[in-house]
Amino acid sequence: MWEWIVWGGMGFSKAVTERASKARTGYIKEVMALTEPVLTKRIPLDPDQRKLIRYDEYVATGGYQALKKALEMSPDEIIKTVTDSGLRGRGGAGFSAGQKWSFIPKEKKGPHYLCVNADESEPGTFKDRYVMNHDPHMLLEGIAITSLATQCDVAYIFIRGEYHYSAKVLEFAIREAYEHGIFGPNGILGSGKKLECYVHRGAGAYICGEETGLLEALEGKRGWPRNKPPFPAIAGAFARPTVINNVETLMNVPHIIERGPAWFKSMGTPSSPGPKLFGMSGHVNKPGVYEDELGITLDYAINTLAGGMKGGAYKACICGGISMGVLGTNQLDIRLDFDDVRFRGGCLGLGTAGMIVMNEHTDMVKALRNCVRFYSHESCGQCTPCREGSHWMRKILDRIVAGEGKASDLNMLMELEKTMGIMPGTTICGLADGTSWATRTFISKFYDEFARVCPEEPQRRVSLKVASGRMNVLTPMGSNTR
Amino acid sequence: MAWISEDRRQALVRDGKPLLTDDMKKTLEEKYFPRYPTKRAVLLPALHLVQHEYNWIPPQAIEEIAQFLEIAPAEALDTASFYEEYWLKPKGKYLLQVCRSLTCEICGSEKLREHLQSRLNIDVGETTPDKRFTLVELECLGACGSAPVMLVNEVLYENIASTDQLDQILDRLPDDPHDFKDPNITWEQDGSHSG
Repeated sequence: MWEWIVWGGMGFSKAVTERASKARTGYIKEVMALTEPVLTKRIPLDPDQRKLIRYDEYVATGGYQALKKALEMSPDEIIKTVTDSGLRGRGGAGFSAGQKWSFIPKEKKGPHYLCVNADESEPGTFKDRYVMNHDPHMLLEGIAITSLATQCDVAYIFIRGEYHYSAKVLEFAIREAYEHGIFGPNGILGSGKKLECYVHRGAGAYICGEETGLLEALEGKRGWPRNKPPFPAIAGAFARPTVINNVETLMNVPHIIERGPAWFKSMGTPSSPGPKLFGMSGHVNKPGVYEDELGITLDYAINTLAGGMKGGAYKACICGGISMGVLGTNQLDIRLDFDDVRFRGGCLGLGTAGMIVMNEHTDMVKALRNCVRFYSHESCGQCTPCREGSHWMRKILDRIVAGEGKASDLNMLMELEKTMGIMPGTTICGLADGTSWATRTFISKFYDEFARVCPEEPQRRVSLKVASGRMNVLTPMGSNTR
Repeated sequence: MAWISEDRRQALVRDGKPLLTDDMKKTLEEKYFPRYPTKRAVLLPALHLVQHEYNWIPPQAIEEIAQFLEIAPAEALDTASFYEEYWLKPKGKYLLQVCRSLTCEICGSEKLREHLQSRLNIDVGETTPDKRFTLVELECLGACGSAPVMLVNEVLYENIASTDQLDQILDRLPDDPHDFKDPNITWEQDGSHSG
C-alpha cells in the first residue's frame, strides 16, 4: 500500500499516469460539465431564493412519478435497473448500490429494514444536510423505491443528533408523505405494499456513521461497530436483513428509475457514472455544495465551481472527508471519480467528495494534528490499535506543533500509521484506516514541512556510571539510554 | 464518542417525584414503541426526551427509563455515557458548541473560541457561575461550506465572520431558552398539516 502513495504522489511522469488512467477507465471525456442539475434541480443557486420544497411543489415539478413507475415493476427489475446504471454508493466506499440490494434474501421470512445513513459527520462533508434541508421528498421517494426493491417494511432515517433543523424538516416531510398516502397503513400509494418511515436521531458519535455502529445505535446500544460476517444484508437491525444506504445514493434512485440506466451512464466516467454533489469548503471564494459529473478535475472544481482560491495559491486539498487523505500541490489534474483519486491521487478514494481546500499559508502539521485529534476523539474504544494508536499519534503531533518535535517522532508516526486499521487487519471498522491514510498522505506529500519541525536530534554528551568509574559517551537525545 | 474523563461520581439523589412523568411515558408508549420491535431501541429517543425536559439527564431518570424499558440500569447508563450529546451533569441554559474541525480551524474558529472564553471568563467545558452559558468545542458540525459555525442549543449559526457578530448573537438570546426558536423554521406555522 505504501507504494501506491509514492506512485500516486510524485513518482510517475504525467504521460505514464495518463496512459494508465485511460487503460483503466476507458475513454474519458475531455471536458465534463453537467448539462442540467439532477439532485439539486429544485434548489436555486442563489442562496436567498432557496426554500423548503414541500409536497405540493414537489409533485407539481414531477415528483413521485418514478415511484408510480416503480410500483409497476417487480423488485428484481428495479434492482436490475439500478445495477445496470452503475450507481455506486455515495457514502464513501463507492460500492455498487444495486449489488448491495441483491444480497437481501429474496424469500421473505420476516420484516426487512432499510436504514438511511444521514449520520454525516466526516469533516469536510456537508452535502446531505444541504439536499435534505431543501428537498426532503426526493429522499423519501428514493426510500419508497428502495423499499419496494428490497421488500422493506420499515425505513429508519438515522440522522445525527446535531442536525436539529434537518431532523425537523424530515419529520415534517414524512408527515406530509403520510397524509398523501406515500407511507402508512394503505401501502405505498394505496398499493397494499406497506411501508413505515421514521426519523431516528443519533446523539453525537461519528462512529455511528459506520453501518454496523449505526445499527447498534438504532437498537439502543452504544455505537460499537460489529464484527462481520454476518453482514447487515443477512442479519442487520434487530437481526433481520437490512439495507443501509447513504442519503445521496437514495436520492439518485428516482432519477434512474424515471430516466433509465443509459441516461445515468451518459454522465460521469465509465467506472463511476452519474452526478455527484461536491462540497467545497476551506480557502475558496464561493464555498458550498455544487453538483457536477463524476470525473471533473480538481482544478475545475476549485476554479470554476468554487470561484477560485482565496488568500493565496493552492497548496493541498482533502478530497473526500479527511479519512481519504490529502491531494498534493502538483495534483490539480486529478479527476474526481472513485478510481482516479485512488490510483493516481494516492488517496484512499473519493469518499464523500467533501473537499477542504487549503492555500499556501496553511500549516500542514497543524492541519494533520487537527485530523488526528478528530480520530482520537471519535475512536469508539473497542479495538486497541485504534484507541491507543490514535491517542498516541495525537500526543506526538501535539508535541510537534508545540515545537518540541524530533526526527524519532516522525518515524514513530509513520510506524504507528502502518500498523492500525482494517487493511493491516487489526481493527473491526475502518476508522483507524482513516487515521492512517490522513497521516500517511500528509507526511508523504508534505515531508519537508514535517522534517523541518522534526529535526534530527543533536548529539549530546552524557555521563554514565559504569563499574569502572565514570565514562563519557555520545548518545542521541531521546534514545533509550537517556 | 469521546473519552470524557470527567467525574461521574454524581451522587444518586432520589427525588420523591418521578422524573419520567406519566406524560412522557405516554409519549414514549404511543409515539415510539410502535416504531421499533424491541423496547431497548426506544432508549435513545427516551434519553432525548428527558434531556429536552430537564436540560440534562439525572441519574434518577436513567434508573426510571431503565425500569420503564425493562433493561438493566447499567445498560441504560452504558448507552447514555457513550454519546457525547447526553449530559450526565447539569449544564447552562445555553450550550455554545463551537466547531473545531479542519475547515473551521483554517477559517478561524480558534479566534471565536478564544473570544468566547474571555467574554464569558470560562474555559472550554465549563459553565458560567450564573448557569447561563456552557461552552464546548465539538467535532465537525457538518456545515463546512459556511465555516466557522457555532451551534447554540438547537440553532446553527453560520459564517461567523467576526467577534462582533458573535457578541450580537449572544446579546440577542432571550432570557428563557424555551423562547429561543430556530428562525429558519417558517414552514411549520402555516397549519396546512395536522401535527
